[in-house]
Amino acid sequence: MNPFRVAVAVARKDLRSEWRTRELVPALAQFVILALLIGNFGFQIDSRNAASIAPGILWLALVFAGLVAFGRAFAAEREQASLEAMLMTPASPVAVFAGKAAAAFGLLLLCEAVMLPALSLFFGTPLSIEVVAAVVLASVGMAALGCLFAAIVARVRARELLLPLLTLPLWIPFIIAGGSAVQSAMGLPGNYQEAIGLLIDFDILFLVLTSLAARFVLDE
Amino acid sequence: MSILVADGLTHWFGRELALEGVDLVLDTGEHMAVLGDNGAGKTTLLRILATALRPTAGWLQLAGLDAFRERRRLRHYLGYVAHSPGLYPALTAAENLEFFCDLHDVSRSRVAEVLETVGLTQAADRRADRLSRGMQQRLAIGRAILHEPKLLFFDEPDASLGADAGDMLMRIMEGRTVVLATHDHALANRLCARTLILRHGRSLGTATHLRVVK
Repeated sequence: MNPFRVAVAVARKDLRSEWRTRELVPALAQFVILALLIGNFGFQIDSRNAASIAPGILWLALVFAGLVAFGRAFAAEREQASLEAMLMTPASPVAVFAGKAAAAFGLLLLCEAVMLPALSLFFGTPLSIEVVAAVVLASVGMAALGCLFAAIVARVRARELLLPLLTLPLWIPFIIAGGSAVQSAMGLPGNYQEAIGLLIDFDILFLVLTSLAARFVLDE
Repeated sequence: MSILVADGLTHWFGRELALEGVDLVLDTGEHMAVLGDNGAGKTTLLRILATALRPTAGWLQLAGLDAFRERRRLRHYLGYVAHSPGLYPALTAAENLEFFCDLHDVSRSRVAEVLETVGLTQAADRRADRLSRGMQQRLAIGRAILHEPKLLFFDEPDASLGADAGDMLMRIMEGRTVVLATHDHALANRLCARTLILRHGRSLGTATHLRVVK
């Protein structure tokens, strides 16, 4: 059995379901716009301080949007009682996990496609390729970790409470490195290359660790 | 030849005993019904036999393999219809089956054949959430036989099905070893040569044919 084919099938199924129901992306897009709007009105933004405030608002909105997106990845399967059927097949649990994480990452990318231009519009910060690269790279590792914990908490009742408690501490490295990369891309002092290098290292580390853990989480 | 051998299957949900020391031997091609009141342990037994749930104690061998050590290898042999259909509501009937073809590594050409077997050819392009409960159940049965398993576990497959359910199930069960949990004694007698009766998680023994006494 080809694990790549399984992962593609799982991701395609999740994205197709989202395309037809439009349950998550419009709500997430609305959420990030509102978060940026609140940030815009909550702070006295001018051309001098926009670059130092905007990255903080960006990461706050991204983290909470990610928690919602990744939380739904497995909660929906549990509610529909479809996860058991999927895991009763000979497909590798790691491939199933990879497909779910890829779909959740794709949904977060759609959300970022709304958020980054909105950030630029509200805060007047540059929308550069460097900013986009930092946000996308951070989202890769965040998706892997978020989906792993979403799979763990999906079977408990207080999952909405547990998911942030488990996930946020492990997202801190991405927020620190990603925040530093976005700040330097917006013209504040900092080493952009170093921050991007760290993000790539974290992505590789957490992709490997979550793939190893997924087998045990999904198999039982 | 025995395709299923279970010895002392016991399961606790926390402090609640759901199944206690159930022994079972099933020969290839045999059909067995599991009867019992609500909460008797039918679903727990079926989930354990289908390797969806690991028992607290006991031992299970399927097709000559240790069911829990070789769980992944056994997936090719097993088909399981759970109590809830567990379909993807936004996908059509055909798309639901195509997805499981990919997971089972089975050609998608099998979908049309299976839809015909379960009587859903006309509903192939209808979304699963727009199918009636009975049609959803048929689709779940179709999903369980996509990969042509030798062993089938049915948890109340007749729930919400129409009058022709017995005939359809009989066609599907032909040539396969089947364990079927149901409340319907007449259906159990019609489809299965043997019956296992559970009460409060304990086996009251097996019988070849039941006579329903009112």
